[in-house]
Amino acid sequence: MLTSIRSKLIVSLLSVTLLVGAVSLLTGVHLLKKHVIGEAANRVELDLTAASEMIRERVRLIRMALNITSLGSGFISAVDVANPDDLAYRLSRLAHHAKLDFAGIVGTNGKVLCRLGSNAKIQGVPAENPIGRMALERQSPAEGTVVLSREELIHEDPELAERARIAVRPNGAAEPAANPGNDETSSLALAAAVPIFEGSRVIGVLYGGQLLNRNETLVDMVRNRLSQAQSYKGRPIATATLFLNDLRIATNVTLPDGSRALGTRVSAEVKTAVLDQGRRWSGRAWVLSDWYITAYEPLEDIFGRRVGMLYVGTLEEKYTDIQAKALTVFILITAAGMIVALAFGFLLANRIMGPVHRLIKASQQVSEGSLTPDIGPILEGEFGRLQKTFMEMVAAVGRRRAASEDKIIQSEKQASVGRLAAGVAHEINNPLTGVLTYTHMLLRRKDLNTEMRADLETIAAATDRVRKIVKGLLDFSRQTKLDPEPTDINRLVSATVGLLENQALVKGVAVKFSPGDSLPMVTLDRSQMQSVLMNLIINALDATPPGGQIKIFTAPGLSGNGAIQKGVEITVADTGSGIPPEHMDKLFDPFFTTKAVGQGTGLGLSVSQGIVQRHQGHIRVQSEMGKGTRFFVWLPIERTGGKP
Amino acid sequence: MKILVVDDEGIVLLSCRRILEAEGFEVQAAPSVDEALALLDAPGATLPTLLLADVKMPVHDGMYLMRQVKATHPELPIVIMSGYPTDETVENAAAFGAATFIAKPFTPEELLDTVLSVARKGNKS
Repeated sequence: MLTSIRSKLIVSLLSVTLLVGAVSLLTGVHLLKKHVIGEAANRVELDLTAASEMIRERVRLIRMALNITSLGSGFISAVDVANPDDLAYRLSRLAHHAKLDFAGIVGTNGKVLCRLGSNAKIQGVPAENPIGRMALERQSPAEGTVVLSREELIHEDPELAERARIAVRPNGAAEPAANPGNDETSSLALAAAVPIFEGSRVIGVLYGGQLLNRNETLVDMVRNRLSQAQSYKGRPIATATLFLNDLRIATNVTLPDGSRALGTRVSAEVKTAVLDQGRRWSGRAWVLSDWYITAYEPLEDIFGRRVGMLYVGTLEEKYTDIQAKALTVFILITAAGMIVALAFGFLLANRIMGPVHRLIKASQQVSEGSLTPDIGPILEGEFGRLQKTFMEMVAAVGRRRAASEDKIIQSEKQASVGRLAAGVAHEINNPLTGVLTYTHMLLRRKDLNTEMRADLETIAAATDRVRKIVKGLLDFSRQTKLDPEPTDINRLVSATVGLLENQALVKGVAVKFSPGDSLPMVTLDRSQMQSVLMNLIINALDATPPGGQIKIFTAPGLSGNGAIQKGVEITVADTGSGIPPEHMDKLFDPFFTTKAVGQGTGLGLSVSQGIVQRHQGHIRVQSEMGKGTRFFVWLPIERTGGKP
Repeated sequence: MKILVVDDEGIVLLSCRRILEAEGFEVQAAPSVDEALALLDAPGATLPTLLLADVKMPVHDGMYLMRQVKATHPELPIVIMSGYPTDETVENAAAFGAATFIAKPFTPEELLDTVLSVARKGNKS
């Protein structure tokens, strides 16, 4: 089955389609990954930078608000006189406008002047807030991220400590919590502090900040600014998270139950890279329950310690879904291509194999004897050429078969005519002997009158003619044995031409013999071959009108029919009347003659052909009406097989 | 001079007798090989100068006759005549010792030339 051209064709087409499909699939997936996922990763990195900038912006805003407040003359004098009610009012207004979770004023002695919240008016306690202390120590503004311990938070406002508390939740991808069961009580905060000047004298420090723990507003704002609030399958594409160390303290990454993933930890890999080594980390990461394309960067507090991380990420599923979709489309295209290839292959195979099968059938027809096989319409291109060549071959086979059939028919004709001639000759010759004898005996008589003598002479002449005809028949039927000897063809032809020169001269026909160079010796029966040549030249003389020309030439020549065999060809060409086409195939038939009655027996060419064939040669004729005729006698140099 | 002519065809016998007797030969005619042999072997019969025989005859042919005659009368010259002179016939005739061969039909002159030339040779020998 697989050896048929049809299946080969189909398999080839399928393999090509499969190969092209597979290559485009691989290339497509590779390009998709490189561009789409790569693009997404780039975007996430840019997002992280933007998010980081937003946080700094937030810090700057806090500081600006503090600055503006600290410059107010009412505020300065309120600090100066340490009016707790006034200060508390001012702080709460500031906190309200700048959305601060905590704020306070520290005196130059390091003691709290006023604070936001329930401890607002407890004065004189040492200020615990690190950023306030820092600004005071440096006598200059400070801003940034700070970590506030539970104590510091309580100190600030007990309510804050409660707000900042985050229950640590176990999650598989994270390192086990250092204090399992314990809540995270510290808080990360964005804060700023500015010195309060009265003239050029520092009279205190105003500080304030925003807790990051549970600060959904900030992370959601970051997310919304990054993703324009797009969502995928009900989940936001972009996510942002703030970490206190490796713990999520503000995030919009959700758990499968839809709640925010507060209190969960980052993976150990990210933690190592970002917190321990202080690097940015980006890449594909498993964030709780989904793969994300992520970027993390460390957060440093005002003292330069790495205290947490900022994360942004994009749900990878959107991109993997695009990839999967593209993959599906590629596979579908390939499959469709294969189906098309299969169908196309079948069609093509039928188109190609149809004529092939027809040709096979035609060959069978030829082998069964038909010479007009049905090969269907002749097509264009190579196949058409094959069809034409096939038909030419069939025609050639036909011609050869016809030629060999002709040969068989010819020799059968000769044989049957020979048998007939022998019988006739034998039967006729005896009575003819009587006729000849008595006619001649009568003619001897002296007492015959002129009329009787003339009559008897007519009988004698007619009888003589009969005798010649019968002799011709006998010669024809006799199949005389060859007496071959090596012969110089040119000498033989030349001698024969010499015998007929007078006859030609009388008729006024020029006979010209051009002997061929370096002809090999041919073994032949000289006298029989000479009679063949005589016959051909006499025929030519008869056909050629006075003033015409007979050319005879000899040349080496290969056998004209089939097998290549070396030989010699003798050509007798005349400028005579030519042979009518309808006579061409009767030319070698015994008794076929166009000469006037009594001028020829119609045996000459038939006998000549017999002689040439017994030499294993052949005679061909070419003739053109009105122009002349050419007879070609081909004789092999070496005869094959046994004696003729 | 006596000549024995053997042929199954009456007209040939008649023709030969007519030609040869006109020339003064004594002609014995036999229509078959058996009769020819009988004439030759008849007690007291004189042997002819020449035997003129056809080849193709029913019962026994000219070749048979020639073999018989050569066995009993090797000195008798034989002329073989045939209306169908194939190579084989001519060769066989020569092989069996025929003096010469003449093709039928012949004119009186041809027969006489042949017979006389053979008879002259026979006389010489």
